[in-house]
Amino acid sequence: MKSNKRNRLNIGLTKLLAPALVATGLIVSGHVVAADEDTINIGFISPRTGPLASFGKTDGFVLEQARKALADGMTIQGKHYKVNILDRDSQSDPARAGQLAKELINQGVDLMLAVSTPEVINPVADAGEAAGVPTLSTVMPWEAWYYGRGAKPGQPSPFKWTYHFGFGTGEFYQTYMSQWALLDTNKKVGVMYPNDADGSAIRGALVPRFKEAGYTVIDPGAYETGTTDFSSQIAKFKAENVEIINTFPIPPDFAAFWRQAAQQGLNRQVKIIQVAKTGLFPADIEVLGSLGPKIASAAYWHKSFPYTSTLTGQNGTQLANLWEKETGEQWTQQLGATLSLLDAATESLKQAKNPKSHADVRDAIASLNVTTIGGKVDFTSGPVPNVSPGPIIGAQWVKGTGKHKLDYVITENVTDTNVPVSHKLLPYNR
Amino acid sequence: MINSLVQAILLGGYYALIACGLAFMFQVMRIINLAHGSLAILSAYMVWMMTEALALSPFTSLLMVLPIMAMIGWLLQRAILERATKGGELLPVLSTFGLSIVIDNLLFQHFGANTRTLASYVGDLSWESYQLFDLWIGKLPILIFATAIIVIGGLDLVLRFTSLGRQIRATAFDPDTAGLVGIDARKTAAIAAAIAMMTVAISGSALGLRGTFDAYAGAPQLLFAFEATIIGGVGSLWGVLLGGIILAIAQSVGALIHPQGFLLGGHFVFLLFLFARIYLNRDFLTLRHWLGNKSKGESL
Repeated sequence: MKSNKRNRLNIGLTKLLAPALVATGLIVSGHVVAADEDTINIGFISPRTGPLASFGKTDGFVLEQARKALADGMTIQGKHYKVNILDRDSQSDPARAGQLAKELINQGVDLMLAVSTPEVINPVADAGEAAGVPTLSTVMPWEAWYYGRGAKPGQPSPFKWTYHFGFGTGEFYQTYMSQWALLDTNKKVGVMYPNDADGSAIRGALVPRFKEAGYTVIDPGAYETGTTDFSSQIAKFKAENVEIINTFPIPPDFAAFWRQAAQQGLNRQVKIIQVAKTGLFPADIEVLGSLGPKIASAAYWHKSFPYTSTLTGQNGTQLANLWEKETGEQWTQQLGATLSLLDAATESLKQAKNPKSHADVRDAIASLNVTTIGGKVDFTSGPVPNVSPGPIIGAQWVKGTGKHKLDYVITENVTDTNVPVSHKLLPYNR
Repeated sequence: MINSLVQAILLGGYYALIACGLAFMFQVMRIINLAHGSLAILSAYMVWMMTEALALSPFTSLLMVLPIMAMIGWLLQRAILERATKGGELLPVLSTFGLSIVIDNLLFQHFGANTRTLASYVGDLSWESYQLFDLWIGKLPILIFATAIIVIGGLDLVLRFTSLGRQIRATAFDPDTAGLVGIDARKTAAIAAAIAMMTVAISGSALGLRGTFDAYAGAPQLLFAFEATIIGGVGSLWGVLLGGIILAIAQSVGALIHPQGFLLGGHFVFLLFLFARIYLNRDFLTLRHWLGNKSKGESL
């Protein structure tokens, strides 16, 4: 509570400073954008700093690859265009993401891109929808994007300008069922979902379907983010003898929960610890030390995806290796996800009658059906208009065999069977 | 149930450890240091940096960070708190609040957004446990609890039985009169601030060992420290230990009633104690009142 207050004060201060900064920003950047008819401007918003920085960490590198590929511009319908990507950092702040989107729209971008988490994508998509600028995004559950922004099930889509591709809760469900069937368990699932938007959405969407599929779900209820002691949940899981745990925590909460669970001996009875949100990136798991290996995860991209980028021509392994060579850091699944967004964006532009017309670009996105480095992006056959569902592949963190502390290996592929399964799922408690 | 109680008491030890620096500063210098949490995170980062760079054990790094934090405490007192106190009661609160924002953002600037921990440098200590019948008791929580007792006990002994302690108490009571009998009040206050910052370094390391931290992790720590201090009664260091334990038990009971009740339970008991302190006989809730007047004249 106190921390909220503090954040609000911080934000208050930022708000005071923001107009001044925005004003200077507009003056400076107004000159940067070439508003001529021969240049296509693409806005790109992602969280490069702040609590979501681990998502945005690789974006600079991916954008560099894209800019190299676009150095000579694009030829669309016989006309040559220069392509200019204007990338902005949302600083993990939804208000700032919306503000940046409005700025970019005022600067006349032809296509808006947003990547990683509802905190970035939803405000940007809302700004794009309001201003009639085609907006494309990926990496958040599509239900939270579609229904979370006011669409109603069974009714026509209210969105004319915004499109999203990638995994949804339906894919999570399929993947978890496929992953959990790999081991012989007593089918008792302990779930730990936080009291936030993700947590409630996942509880509503997944728990009833787990039960239908024959699992016994032990749900101690939503916990508050920032809790430092999880004794009561752990005691409950022990008493009910759960062998599978599914949780959607932020990294500090998961570290607190899982260390305490280990102190209490819960880790000795759990065969599958299926973690989402935490565990997308190696650093989240490395902080757990010897408790890290064999934690199960689900990946929206993996370097062994058998696809090639339409923009840069790289395949997953090449992209990951180049990142590791240039930075010395381990590859992450965000590399391919961000590049797939740029793939889909440039393909849409190519197919547009006139890439400088918002309506033409929007129509091109709506009829897009291509294979990017992240897999198929197909807006012609989605479950709802404006959405193209994508894979979330069952994976596991295992002790590293090469130069990294941990390796990320694929254990099942129900949501995209082209992706090769390389490892057997290992039980956590052995 | 017994297990929850044991876990809560051990967690209370951690809260007491983070609170004792705050309580000590308030008791001795009449300053509520709102930068307390941020300073703890600062020291956690320093310990982390040394551990990482010199491949030391975090415990060795802590020994090296202690004098650095003591120095920071000294400077803090001389450069900021001493001047702020002259401007009335509110000014130290405002200036330490500002200081905490500055520290948080400098840490973010320098260390970025990645979550850090010290636990991965101590092998399996962070999650190993002793098994007693049906009870599983973590080794690290016991270590932290014991540290809290040692730190609080040590501070208490220093205050009671050493000449430095007498000087600190005298300065706290009335700096001007203390000056009349030959005590250098400025120096004494600076020493007290240095001692407080050393406890902050210890609590920062405890945080790093039992959990994770990032640049903005200070505020929740300050909140827990503040609550434990108020519940325990600002006048006594042992009260802080009791306050920490009461806070942790309240949180655990809250969590037993409802999973979202963890933080809420703590806040509720904190408010209860706060109002009780304001409206009831001030003596009623102190340790002294319940233990008889053994320690008369000791607490302030």
